[in-house]
Amino acid sequence: MPDSDELVVDAQHLSRRFGAHVAVRDVSLQVRRGEIFGVLGPNGAGKSTALRMLCGVLDPTGGRAVVVGHDVAREPERVKANIGYMTQSFSLYTDLTVAENIGFYASLYGLAGAARRRRIDAVLHESELAARTGQLAGELSGGWKQRLALACATIHQPPLIFLDEPTAGVDPLSRREFWERIHGLAAAGTTVVVTTHYMDEAERCHRLAFISHGEVFDSGRPDDIVARAGLAIAEFIVDDVDQATYLLQGLPGVEECAHYGRVLRLAVHGGEPVAAARARLDRAGLAVHDMRESRATVEDAFVAMVRRERRA
Amino acid sequence: MRRLLAVSLKELRQLRRDRLTLAMMLSMPVSELLLLGYAINTDIRHIQTVVLDRDRSAASRRLVVQMQATGYYDIVGDVENYEDIARALRSGRATVGLVVPARFSSDLTRRRPVRLQLLVDGSDPQILGTAIDTATGLAAARSAELATPGLAQTHPRPASAPLSFEPIILYNPEQRTAVYIVPGLIGVLLTMTMVMLTAMALTRERERGTLEALIVSPATRLEIVGGKIAPYIAIGYGQMTLVLLAGWWFFDVPTAGSLPLLYLLAALFIAAHLALGLLFSTVARTQQQAMQMSFFFLLPNILITGFVFPFESMPLSVQHLAQALPLTHFLRVARRILLKGAHAEDMNHEIAWLAAIVAVFIAAAAVRFKKKLL
Repeated sequence: MPDSDELVVDAQHLSRRFGAHVAVRDVSLQVRRGEIFGVLGPNGAGKSTALRMLCGVLDPTGGRAVVVGHDVAREPERVKANIGYMTQSFSLYTDLTVAENIGFYASLYGLAGAARRRRIDAVLHESELAARTGQLAGELSGGWKQRLALACATIHQPPLIFLDEPTAGVDPLSRREFWERIHGLAAAGTTVVVTTHYMDEAERCHRLAFISHGEVFDSGRPDDIVARAGLAIAEFIVDDVDQATYLLQGLPGVEECAHYGRVLRLAVHGGEPVAAARARLDRAGLAVHDMRESRATVEDAFVAMVRRERRA
Repeated sequence: MRRLLAVSLKELRQLRRDRLTLAMMLSMPVSELLLLGYAINTDIRHIQTVVLDRDRSAASRRLVVQMQATGYYDIVGDVENYEDIARALRSGRATVGLVVPARFSSDLTRRRPVRLQLLVDGSDPQILGTAIDTATGLAAARSAELATPGLAQTHPRPASAPLSFEPIILYNPEQRTAVYIVPGLIGVLLTMTMVMLTAMALTRERERGTLEALIVSPATRLEIVGGKIAPYIAIGYGQMTLVLLAGWWFFDVPTAGSLPLLYLLAALFIAAHLALGLLFSTVARTQQQAMQMSFFFLLPNILITGFVFPFESMPLSVQHLAQALPLTHFLRVARRILLKGAHAEDMNHEIAWLAAIVAVFIAAAAVRFKKKLL
């Protein structure tokens, strides 16, 4: 967990409009040093626009943001020099080798001489890429590309790194290892702001913000967000999951019905709907082999939030 | 069959979404037809001509009027001496210099054979041919006219034709096409590679997502763009040097003028095309589109700038259009420096045009680039 109250990102009422379209509306976010801060939201919710403003490459049209101690609108160059940025596409030169990619980013961030050499060795060691320095980046597998991208993004030891969907298209093991590294960086004092669509990853963040239609819907620790959603989860193990879903969808208090093989996962508000659901399944003569309660997840909270918003 | 139709339909739909390619494919046939139709007209008329009239008689004036009446010569001025003719030819103000000898009218009346000198810029063999052929035809017609029977009674008929032109070919006297083509080839090669490489290099970064990382880095716009195009400037000069060396080695292409001047002015030419490449990169979404746009741009450069077909043979409207193409001006610069040994002051007009085009292209690229970088 973050070990200080020092704010690395302090965005106040940040807005950005493109003509008549408002991409980001009145977004306020605070990220403390050493924190892993997750930004969640449907595609087109304004995550990338918000991130770009925080990186100092896009001027806000309203509000202000201070990132690593500098105002993004007034001192974008100071902001850029002190952040790392890893894109979904990994931003690697596929026709350059591992060493050439790292070397390029080192020079781009103004490293030279012995310091450059030292940092290159360090990231090669941390990312375990030392044995692959001569390989073309384009020939690496997804997981190794991701390691290389992170190595490039952290070559200048930035106090803050932005990761834009860093694990898209990467296998589960690599994803897990990647998150180990992210936690290692955070433990060493690096602040991490990450956007993701993977809810298991969202749960690995210290704090989260849900963004939809350019606005922050909820933010806080994953536990708190889940608690605020006020969802109870019941799992029924039934033979005919389709029939059961048909019966239970739309039942008062039922937020969500989802199947996982033979398991029907029911997200409800309060305890009564679970009993009502059980009663309805019994009345219909569907065999319920088992019923158990489960913990609500960030995904449940997220889906409920997006659904609620769509209904509104 | 149904599947084939499905694939075709999908292809057409994709094509419809790719507006840029579609626009180019539709405008290509028309523009190509117009360009070729106008450019291939190799009937060269309106050859710019200066006159050194040492006789200043009614007869000499009549001859000049007759030359102009053929439609092949445009008299653009009178000059005082040979040095003026040389200057006019070197600077491209004129392609032909006509010298009427001092005793032109008296020799004519006395039935002595008269030889007029026709100084012709030989750097374009096609123009040269027309200029000499027309003059020869005119001389024959005038000679026949002079040999009217009434006059022939009082004077003896001269052994040779009374009026003839003595063509003096300046620059490229052996009429070798290579000498004419090589300087132009420098321009065409630079046009092609500079525009395409720049446009593709930047589109590639955008396509692969690496441009985003560059923008987020502390590197400034100037550092990013400057760093990207600097190698291509070097490549451009490398190409130019290779063509010059090969032209000199294989075809004996002369270097009459100052090479440093040529390299200096090539900087303007290269800058114009780098800016254009940048501009293309802001319009094209993919490398493929960038390449298509570059080819599209190359076409008029080959056809209407005077590289293959003589500039003078094109209609005025097309000539005006060609002024906007940097190659039109650089071709003249390269040919004049290499073949005629022209100095900077002989090319004020071309240098001014090149500078103006560079300024416009860079301004346009800067405006577009600022908007489209993100």
